[in-house]
Amino acid sequence: MSVIVCPACDLAHRFTAAPASGHRQCARCRALLQRRENPSIDTAIALAVCALVLLVLSNAYPLVAMQVNGSSRDTTLIGAALGFYAQGFESLAALVFLTTVVAPLLQITTLLYVLIPLRRKRRAAGQNAVLRILTRIRPWNFMEVFMLGAIVALVRLSKFAHITPGIALWSSALLMLCLSALTSQTSPEHLWRWVERNRE
Amino acid sequence: MTSPATGRSLGLLVCLDCRQTVRGVTARHMRCPRCHAPLHERKPHSLAVTTVLVVCAAVLYVPANLLPVMITRTIFDDERDTIMSGVLVLLHSGSWPIALLVFVASIVVPLLKILALGVLLYTAWRRSPRRRLQRSELFRMVEFIGRWSMLDIYAVSLLATLVQIQSFASIIVGWGAWAFAAVVVLTLLAARTFDERLLWDKPQHD
Repeated sequence: MSVIVCPACDLAHRFTAAPASGHRQCARCRALLQRRENPSIDTAIALAVCALVLLVLSNAYPLVAMQVNGSSRDTTLIGAALGFYAQGFESLAALVFLTTVVAPLLQITTLLYVLIPLRRKRRAAGQNAVLRILTRIRPWNFMEVFMLGAIVALVRLSKFAHITPGIALWSSALLMLCLSALTSQTSPEHLWRWVERNRE
Repeated sequence: MTSPATGRSLGLLVCLDCRQTVRGVTARHMRCPRCHAPLHERKPHSLAVTTVLVVCAAVLYVPANLLPVMITRTIFDDERDTIMSGVLVLLHSGSWPIALLVFVASIVVPLLKILALGVLLYTAWRRSPRRRLQRSELFRMVEFIGRWSMLDIYAVSLLATLVQIQSFASIIVGWGAWAFAAVVVLTLLAARTFDERLLWDKPQHD
C-alpha cells in the first residue's frame, strides 16, 4: 500500500522510504509517523538477554538495607509490593507488582520468545498473539518511576537511619536504562518489519 | 476550501497495535490482516468512556489529597502525612530539589492532567476547530507525564516495608495512598481510551 495514515490525526500521507536523518513527522499534527529504517534484530536480542539478567539480579538481591538502633531491615523489589499486601492493601500491592515485576518480565520474555525464532527464520507458535500482549503490557512498565520513588524514600529515611544501597538498587538502575533502549529498538514498526521479512 | 485527504475520506483504517494502514471494507468486527488486532475507525465510545474515567479521577482527587497517605507510629504519637505534608517534611529536612520533584509529580501533574483531559474532552465533543495542533500536543504531553505521578506510591511502598521496627517506629499505609493510586490509574486509562483523532475530525455535513 502506498498510503500511510497518521494514527494520531487520520491524515493520509504518501508512503516514502523514511528519511535517512531519522524520523518522519505527520505534516498536520506532528506525531511520529515513520521511524528510522534498519533496526538490528541482534541488538534487540542482546539487549533483551541483558535485561533478563539484570531483572533476575534485581529480584534476587536486596534493594536497600536500613540500620537504626542496632537493628537492621532490608527489602527486595517484590518485598516493596508485599509491604502493601501485609497491610491489607491488596490492590496497591498488585499495582506495584504489575508495574515493577510483571510488566518488565513479560516485555523481556515475549520479545525473546518471538525474536529468537525469527532470527533463525522460524516462527514462534502464537506469534501474533504474543506480540499483541507485548504492545499491551509495555506501557505498564514503570521501572524509571520506581527508581525515582526509591530515591525519594531513601532521602526521607536518611534523616534518622543509616541506609545501605543493595546490589538490586544498582541493577535496577541498569535495568531501567536497558529496558528503555530495548523499547526504542523494538517499536511496533520494527517488530512487524522483521515478521514480514521472515514471511517472504 | 478543499479538505485534506484523511483515512476516513479514503476509506482507510490504521491499526493502532502495529500501525499498518488497512483498506476498510466492512467496519464492523474487522481485524488487522497483519496482527489480528481489532480495528476501529475511531476508538469505540471514546468520549463517553473517557469522560467517566476523568470524572471518577476528579472525585477521588479530593480524598487523595485530604486523607493521610501514611501514618508514622512511634512510641510517643502518630504522625499523619498527607501528600502535601509529605512535601513539607522533605522541604524542612533541607532537600528542596526532592521536595519540588514530589510536589510537581504528586500535586501539579494529576491536577493538570484532569484539567487538560477535561478541556480536550469538551473541545472534542464540540468539534472545535480552534488550536488543533496545540490541543494535540497537549494530549501527547498528558500521555507522556502521566506515569510520573506513581512516584509517591513507590516511595510509600518502600517506606512502609522498611520502617517496621517495633520499638522505634512503624509506618502504616493510609487510604489516601489508595485514592491517590486510583487517580493515577484512572487518568492513565483515560489517556488510553481518548481517541486523539477526534480533535481533528470535521463536523459531518449531511
